[in-house]
Amino acid sequence: MEEKEKKQSLWEFYFKREWSYTTGAVLLSILAVSLVLVTGQAWGVTGVFHVWGGKVLSWFGINADAFPGFNGAVGKYIFANSQVSLTNLGIVLGALLSVLLAASFKYKKIKSRKQVVAAILGGLLMGIGARIAGGCNIGNFFSGIPAFSLAGWIFMVFIFLGAFIGSKMLKKWFM
Amino acid sequence: MAEKELDCLGEACPVPLIKAQNALGTMAIGDVLIVHIDHSCAMKNVPDWAREAGHNVELEEIDDGEWDIIIEKAK
Repeated sequence: MEEKEKKQSLWEFYFKREWSYTTGAVLLSILAVSLVLVTGQAWGVTGVFHVWGGKVLSWFGINADAFPGFNGAVGKYIFANSQVSLTNLGIVLGALLSVLLAASFKYKKIKSRKQVVAAILGGLLMGIGARIAGGCNIGNFFSGIPAFSLAGWIFMVFIFLGAFIGSKMLKKWFM
Repeated sequence: MAEKELDCLGEACPVPLIKAQNALGTMAIGDVLIVHIDHSCAMKNVPDWAREAGHNVELEEIDDGEWDIIIEKAK
């Protein structure tokens, strides 16, 4: 096999080819610091999940605000005033934009029942874990450690442990 | 020279990488493994691993968001 050396177009260079980890890290840092400077609140993702869950429950006539710890969070919730909700929407739209710019948009088929079980189980475990830990790898780790949060460091140790056990489970049962 | 295809369409990381490693492990030098993927992350980690391991790698875009990774086992 011979290596083909073609000159990249500007589009290929910026949008098609994946960015290096360094480019990603620098951009993430600039955006995260800008968010704190503009809004006064650090970047988080899972902080509104209990409110979203409460909203869903309210469609079935269950008042989650009556649960301990909610303090009327569901009743007070306004999407446009919730920074975390807006940045979460931004993550999805940004991901869509990046695949569209790279011309890589594709509907993916679901491969097997096992894959569905693994996805649902993994999602539930991550969601429950993030709420128990008081944040996910963004709020707790990415935003926490630069702010000298001890919780961020403890989170880091256990996220590695969790990823290790998770990969073993994946290899054993879901491949 | 045997040629083997691996269908990893619809599979997310790290499944394509582990499957490719397992498949290549059972193959002989000079054999070619073609991995079909539609997960952009596998477009980076599978070729990265294969090149690091000293194999010949070529990446081909088949369709929007779909790639073939062609790995020739070199050692």
